[in-house]
Amino acid sequence: MQGGLGSAGALSHAYVQHPPLRCDIPDIRGLFYDDANKFLIAPTADRILYWKIALCTPSGPPNSDPVNEGPVLSVRFSLDQKAIGIQRSNREVEFRNRETGEACSNKCRADSETMLGFFWTDCPTCDVIIIKTSGLDLLVYERQSNALRLVESKKFNMSWYLYTHESRLLLLASGMQSTLFTGYQFSAGGIVKLPKFEMIMSTCEANNKPVLAATDVHIVTVYGRIYCLQLDRVNMGLNLYRFYRDAVVQQGTLPIYSSRIAVSAVDNIIMVHQIDAKVVILYDVFMDSFTPISAPLPLLVRGLPSNNRQPGQLADHQSAYGGTIYGEGWNFLIPDLICDSENGLLWKLHLDLEAVAASTSDAPSVLELLQRRKSDLSMVKTLSLAIVRTIILERRPITMVAKAMAVILDSYSCLMKMGGSVSGVRRASEQQQSSGQPFEDSSVILLEPPSRTMIRPVVNTESASGVETRPPQSNSGVEHGIASLAAHVDRTSLNTSSNSDDIINTSRGSQTSDATSERPQALGEDRRPLASGTSIQHGPHGAGVAISPIEMFQSVFVLVEDEMMGDPAYLIAVIMEFLRSMSKAGLKAPPKLYVMMTALLAHSNRYAEIALFVSNKILEPSRELAMQLIELGRHHLLTRKLGVDMLRERCLHDDYVAALLHEGYYLEALRYARKYKVITVQPALFLEKAVAMDSVQNLAAVLSFFSEFTPSFKTTLDYSRYRHILSEMI
Amino acid sequence: MGLSSTDGAQLCVFDLRRGQQEGQELDKILFFHPTDCPILLQLSVIGLCEGIITFTRIFSPEDDCEVIESDRHSHVFYQAETDIWMVLVVEKTKDSESTLRCAALQGILKESHSLFTMFHGPIRSLLDRKPSAELARGHLHTFITDYLSDFTVGKKLQLPTYRDSLKERGTVQMLTVSREVALEVQSLATVLGSCLGNVACQSIVLFEDLLVSTTLSPDDTLNLYTYAILRLTPRALSNANSWSYLRKGVYVNAGSTSSSSNGAATAERPLQREKLSKGKDGFVAAEFATTEVRGAVPLTPILWFQQAEERMYLCVYQHKSLTILLLIPASSLINGEEGIAHVKRHLLENASENIVMVEQKLARGWGGENAYHVGGYRYLLVDPDRKISRASPPGKVTTLSKDSLLALNRLREEMDLEKSRAKRSDPTRDKDFEVCIRAKNNAWVIAKITRGRELYMALEKGGETLLYASTAVEKFSNRYCEGAFSTD
Repeated sequence: MQGGLGSAGALSHAYVQHPPLRCDIPDIRGLFYDDANKFLIAPTADRILYWKIALCTPSGPPNSDPVNEGPVLSVRFSLDQKAIGIQRSNREVEFRNRETGEACSNKCRADSETMLGFFWTDCPTCDVIIIKTSGLDLLVYERQSNALRLVESKKFNMSWYLYTHESRLLLLASGMQSTLFTGYQFSAGGIVKLPKFEMIMSTCEANNKPVLAATDVHIVTVYGRIYCLQLDRVNMGLNLYRFYRDAVVQQGTLPIYSSRIAVSAVDNIIMVHQIDAKVVILYDVFMDSFTPISAPLPLLVRGLPSNNRQPGQLADHQSAYGGTIYGEGWNFLIPDLICDSENGLLWKLHLDLEAVAASTSDAPSVLELLQRRKSDLSMVKTLSLAIVRTIILERRPITMVAKAMAVILDSYSCLMKMGGSVSGVRRASEQQQSSGQPFEDSSVILLEPPSRTMIRPVVNTESASGVETRPPQSNSGVEHGIASLAAHVDRTSLNTSSNSDDIINTSRGSQTSDATSERPQALGEDRRPLASGTSIQHGPHGAGVAISPIEMFQSVFVLVEDEMMGDPAYLIAVIMEFLRSMSKAGLKAPPKLYVMMTALLAHSNRYAEIALFVSNKILEPSRELAMQLIELGRHHLLTRKLGVDMLRERCLHDDYVAALLHEGYYLEALRYARKYKVITVQPALFLEKAVAMDSVQNLAAVLSFFSEFTPSFKTTLDYSRYRHILSEMI
Repeated sequence: MGLSSTDGAQLCVFDLRRGQQEGQELDKILFFHPTDCPILLQLSVIGLCEGIITFTRIFSPEDDCEVIESDRHSHVFYQAETDIWMVLVVEKTKDSESTLRCAALQGILKESHSLFTMFHGPIRSLLDRKPSAELARGHLHTFITDYLSDFTVGKKLQLPTYRDSLKERGTVQMLTVSREVALEVQSLATVLGSCLGNVACQSIVLFEDLLVSTTLSPDDTLNLYTYAILRLTPRALSNANSWSYLRKGVYVNAGSTSSSSNGAATAERPLQREKLSKGKDGFVAAEFATTEVRGAVPLTPILWFQQAEERMYLCVYQHKSLTILLLIPASSLINGEEGIAHVKRHLLENASENIVMVEQKLARGWGGENAYHVGGYRYLLVDPDRKISRASPPGKVTTLSKDSLLALNRLREEMDLEKSRAKRSDPTRDKDFEVCIRAKNNAWVIAKITRGRELYMALEKGGETLLYASTAVEKFSNRYCEGAFSTD
């Protein structure tokens, strides 16, 4: 049973948050989305209204800009937002300088050609690319003179194109069935031409030459990798291709349950909307696993003011929020927006991590999934800690708990190791800003030859040479997945400072069995995938997700300790595994953890093991631990000795002398105090012990010791007092 | 008292609560080695011992008589259980070869008794179970005979001499491992502990003849460790000469025990060497001869633990140099053998990977038999609290001259006396001692006891001054004992 949309208990892994952005302003002539600037644009007769939807959906009125009157086919702001490009017809694009208001236009020369579209690029050689049926025009836009200069023309015949700014990837479809593709990446790193490839279309008897439509191909950018999803209606599948520098590789096919499909990417999770079935399926392709994260579930609207409502009603009628889930007017914008053009609403897709986490009992993989997330960081953290706590309290098998903790520690240690490269990114972005580049999203394409062993179902006409000779930019290095922002500015620094995702990639390698065959590192060290520039924020974001050993101690072990006291053996084993993972990850445990562990061992009368663990340094020596041992050793002499020895070994001279004295070894303490110049212990304490032992000789010895080595001692009250006691003893 | 046996030594066990009426003296004797010793001689030895025990109690009611040195014999006493005494009688010869140390001999008695108790329970409880002592005698006979077989050379018992003064019976020798490996081993111990599901299993892990980890108390660890070194480690199974202090001499068959007069209850003979072997599945099994069996005998020895007061099955698994002793509480195994088979399966399924990995890591870090040799030093380090020792490898100790060894033996004897004296005056307090003796041939013989820990060493071809000796100790202490013996 699924609850009504908007009700709290509804089962769903993805949701849109109410209220949406309302853009149903009268007089507007359609809605356009500029994915480079993340502007939602609504032209009116003589103005352009636009909302900036960079991080959150704005609620206020739109910005506006005057433009010339005329039809509008598409609108794109330049990347520095100082100019607007407006496609007026299939033969003309108008460019308008927003400061001066001057306009110029670019028209098709030949009658035979039609303009398909245009976009702005941050590629170093040109600013605007216009796609025509006969090919590409690469143009430079000169703002001062408000003129366009043709840099290069590339001749092709194509039926349609696909471009996303996120991937910087332009796909040009050609051929009878539009299944032959040529690809370019126009990134800040330069222009990279992808080899030609063909997408697979299954045929059926009714139609043995189906034509691939632009709406059936989706470019998805997750984890900085570029994928392409192509709908195959006959086969009822989504073919998934991954782009590499010199090859496009089909990696798998995702099943579909609807002939209409939309694709979004939320926080590196691919959401495949099965529009007819009104459900969404989530995939996390990080480990090249193409099994869904969870079962298909409906999309939820959260935060609706209305109360429970049946999903059926919502599907049929206009509801309180003024729209229909997966309604006719829904347009899916890159990467995670939905524009309801019928009702003039803009929704943002969210991932319900809590629900995802609750839907599976495989804690380690849920934690891996969570640790890879970059949105809603505090929730990820709380959720991760809660999961670890729960599996401990539920006394799940130690191996599973160990795995779960290893996931958390690995991601933390990756972050620690990244320390150097984070600063590298910062430096790079500073350079970028100073050189007047756009504020974000500078992208680099990283392509590299796939290994020869790779199965390549896609025909790659140009890859033969690519296999042998690597492109000059390609570096042999450890990084696979993601190119960072730094890449185009300082490529060498990027390639030596590995990206964190890649470290996870490598360190988890042994743990995943299903994904190894297609794992990049399994394919040879020179493999480098096509990457977009979206991993920039990984470093700083990772910092939010990663859980330090201290946090693990405070938010897991301390909290579960009381409940586990009945049978501490399980918790001891868990902590042992935690220490092991930490040692593997090169992390240090907080001394308090050792104190806790020792207390647990003593509680279960396992003193012998305490001694063993102290001697083989599993319990790392510290003052805290030494004190704990002495404390626990009140009833166990050997443990007490361990603590006292630890004080000596740690050179905690003052504490050691005090401990010796406390045990009555005052002569030894005195000798030690003299050797290590310990002056914090009062002479009276030594004298007191000597008196307690009722030994005249020793009292005399201690007295003369202090008289000799402490110059002012003879003037103190202690001196006269104990002198008196001594004379009485004799 | 004419002790005219050709055998160099006699070992007897007797119960002072039995045979207190004239004519029934024979009833006291629970065990006598050699078995073929005439009854009259046996009675005379035990009569003398009993006399000495009674006599010394007049002066020292608290502490037992430990040794009586006569002209031609040494009698070493050990009260194993209340009123149950074990006495070792050693013949003195003129040559210095037989120079013995009383505490070392007592160690043999202690060790044999604690091993016996581990397998059969206390002697007293056996006597209580069968007041005719048939059960106790039967077990003692087979067990101690099997135990002594390790000391038998030819027809004589070869007991520890002054040459063994850098060895300490009744201690465990540990393998030093890095923290990383220790954590791996501990993780393995966790897996082993879960072999039975909800009831935790105890385990001991050995590498070669050294202890790596244990979840048992020091006493039980020591007993099992001793047993493993004697019979279970790859070395013990292959019958090779161990470099461990525990095994010496060439193995001689324990003899025709089945024909012994006591006859009964000879089924369980955990120390019977030829019955133990490693199977194809990696488990060490005891194949007791079925002809001797009365009723069903489990394939696995059953142990009895003092600490836990619980009977346990012992399951031994071996992978290369790694030996794992898994203890399964008998109470939690309802259907004995089937249950054990289940545990074994569980172990193979869940722990194999860990075992292989741990073995590899240990083997990689293993420095060989001479791993703990310290150049220039011949040493013995003992921590009596934890029952742990470490010593120069025997091969290196043999390079010491006879004079040095004799001097060391003397010194150890002195220290033993000092220790027991200090213990008598204040058992809770550690007393520190330090003795450096200039021996013949420029050798230094040193003993140092600091806060309960003991260090004995011999330095040959050393400097002449006492400063040299104390510096050598200081250096050794700082480098190998974390400063435990450093002068305050």
